Amino acid sequence: MRILVAMSGGVDSSVVAGLLKSQGHEVIGVTMKLWEGPNGEMPETGCCTSADSEDARKVAAKLDIPYYVLDYTASFSENVIDNFVDMYAQGLTPNPCVECNRSVKFDHFIDQAKKLNCEKVATGHYAKIVMNNNMYELHKADYLDKDQSYVLHMLDSQKLENIEFPLGTISKPEVRQIAASLGLKTAFKKDSQDICFVGKKDYRNFVSKRIDVSSKGLIVDKNENEMGTHGGIHAYTIGQRKGVPGGQGEAKYVTKIDVENNKIYIGSKDELTTKKFILDEVTFVNEVEHENLSIQTRYNSEDVPCAIEKIDESTYQIVLKTPTMGVAPGQFGVIYNGTKLVGGGRITSKVLEDVYE
Amino acid sequence: MNKNDYIYLDHAATTPMRQVAFEAYKKTEMDAYANSSGGHALSRKAKNILEESREFIASCFGAAPNEITFTSGGTEADNWIIKTPFIDKDSSAELTTTQIEHEAVLASAENVNSKGFNVNFVSCDGEGVTNIDEFKKSINPNTLVASVMYANNETGVVQPIQEMSKIVKDINPNALFHSDVVQAVATKKLNFHNLGIESAAISGHKIGGPKGIGVMFLKTGYKIPSFLHGGKQELERRAGTVNVSGVAGLAAALKEQQNNLEKDVELIENEKTIFENYLKENIELRVVGENVERLCHISNIQFKDINSETLMVALDLNGMGVSRGSACASGAQKPSHVLEAMKVDEQVINNHLRFSFGWNTQKGDGEKCAEIVEKTIKELS
Repeated sequence: MRILVAMSGGVDSSVVAGLLKSQGHEVIGVTMKLWEGPNGEMPETGCCTSADSEDARKVAAKLDIPYYVLDYTASFSENVIDNFVDMYAQGLTPNPCVECNRSVKFDHFIDQAKKLNCEKVATGHYAKIVMNNNMYELHKADYLDKDQSYVLHMLDSQKLENIEFPLGTISKPEVRQIAASLGLKTAFKKDSQDICFVGKKDYRNFVSKRIDVSSKGLIVDKNENEMGTHGGIHAYTIGQRKGVPGGQGEAKYVTKIDVENNKIYIGSKDELTTKKFILDEVTFVNEVEHENLSIQTRYNSEDVPCAIEKIDESTYQIVLKTPTMGVAPGQFGVIYNGTKLVGGGRITSKVLEDVYE
Repeated sequence: MNKNDYIYLDHAATTPMRQVAFEAYKKTEMDAYANSSGGHALSRKAKNILEESREFIASCFGAAPNEITFTSGGTEADNWIIKTPFIDKDSSAELTTTQIEHEAVLASAENVNSKGFNVNFVSCDGEGVTNIDEFKKSINPNTLVASVMYANNETGVVQPIQEMSKIVKDINPNALFHSDVVQAVATKKLNFHNLGIESAAISGHKIGGPKGIGVMFLKTGYKIPSFLHGGKQELERRAGTVNVSGVAGLAAALKEQQNNLEKDVELIENEKTIFENYLKENIELRVVGENVERLCHISNIQFKDINSETLMVALDLNGMGVSRGSACASGAQKPSHVLEAMKVDEQVINNHLRFSFGWNTQKGDGEKCAEIVEKTIKELS
């Protein structure tokens, strides 16, 4: 069949294109150009640098498949960059990769694939699509070290029908082997962990260039005792230790960000512990489930057993079976039943009120 | 799809090399490969080919042989003429150009600007023709260079070059009037002196010649500093071993082109008209520059509600190569600066595609291509 493959220029998506081609599919490679600076400059690292699209182009040429760079910059800027900056301004911790997948990548990509008479799209994500009782399910990748189902939680059964994740059953070392055996130059390319539009630089500079966040305020403990001052709340995330004043030899962490009063709350490690919090913007892959649930509160974090209670259609309260640290508003909570992904949503700032009950 | 069946409608980007150009190139590499500046028999052979080619190429543009310097292409010629005159000038010197120039000119102008010189980027009207009044106002006794392309590479729209040259010379006889004629020479017979063009940039591969060879024309009497330093080739104007085989290829391509120009232009014009009329009857669209003089080989079409990025991909998959404007390094194509200068509405600025015909266009291509475009658009919706 004709498949549109998202190629970032990295080894994973290169191998996807190579595998599908070797299986006899008609593969079309696409690099989504997501971001460029105000003067047309490209980021230095991450998945949309010119060097990376050049790598993707070389791989496509080597595989002898059609290849295009398509412009997604307008949608990315509106849905991911603006959101990223706004979230920090609101004292939240954004997850631009999830935001990109849910607001930019898949919808647009599947739509484009259909226009180009492609039956499916494929990406180099480590996750598995499983057909069960005529329903498409999303599962963790067999190679758990790299499992990326967390960032794909918004894909419902209908979308999954259009998608292939060929790396769901392959390990990273195997991927590199396949790349090498296909003669792909990307075989030993380093994995990118950076936020694509920030690169190796400090995200705080990126944010402060875009909005005025320099408003100074107080750093206090849970009893409102003054512990220091800060130069803008955007520089802090929940669980952060760096730049936080210590006290009597005990390490202190950011426990709460009060945007309204421009205050940063700090406390001991224990005070970071959460038992209950609320998810909004919740979506489910198929039906909602209630048995054997666990939740990840950050990408690739440990699964914590939990129960969920519906508040309304898209809002759920999560009760953790064991109290957990570093649940950060703005990040996503992704619910699993074993390896099967049930659904997920955004962690709201209501989480923190429980700490102070 | 058989690759031989691929339909190439991107001649404005580059053209396939003519057989005669290829043969001339090959023959020179085989028989006269010596350095044309050397002191032995084979060098003299190369030198002879070089100078005979120069004479012929000059004659095609009504120029004298010593007004022709060979470069690596149009980009080098534009860079040379626009940037180097400012090297030894004080900051009162000015440059005038237009907003719709090719990147080679625009980026050179921006470079001049970054050195502290005033640069006027003259706007154009909705059809893509430079605003003459604004152009006139920008010329003054400090104008060192005025640079206007003969015809735009994205729209094919022809600029009033002769009139603009006259304006420049009337106000400031010392100013140099430069024209990037890279796109125009593909389908226009140009006499530089008659047109008032005092310097020009030409590229070999736009007329069926080899890539990597171009011409910098500079009217007798003008001197500009060297751009490349080294040996004393090309009357000490440009250092570097001369690409004699490229020159021979260019001369051969030009010879064939000039011999067939009238006939070719008639055929291309005809096929393009059939192409545009067919599409106009079947799809909602607008042809850019339809009411003004255009080069016969370029058809820039604005589709009503079709994003041209997707259409370009779909056309490629259906076996037709076209482009949206100038290619950029990453491959993704931003809205064209030419269309932006023409104040094309934001809603439709990404709905433009450029179809460009060329010397190997055949009778029947217009209809055949239009049918493929129509079919592809139907598949998209």
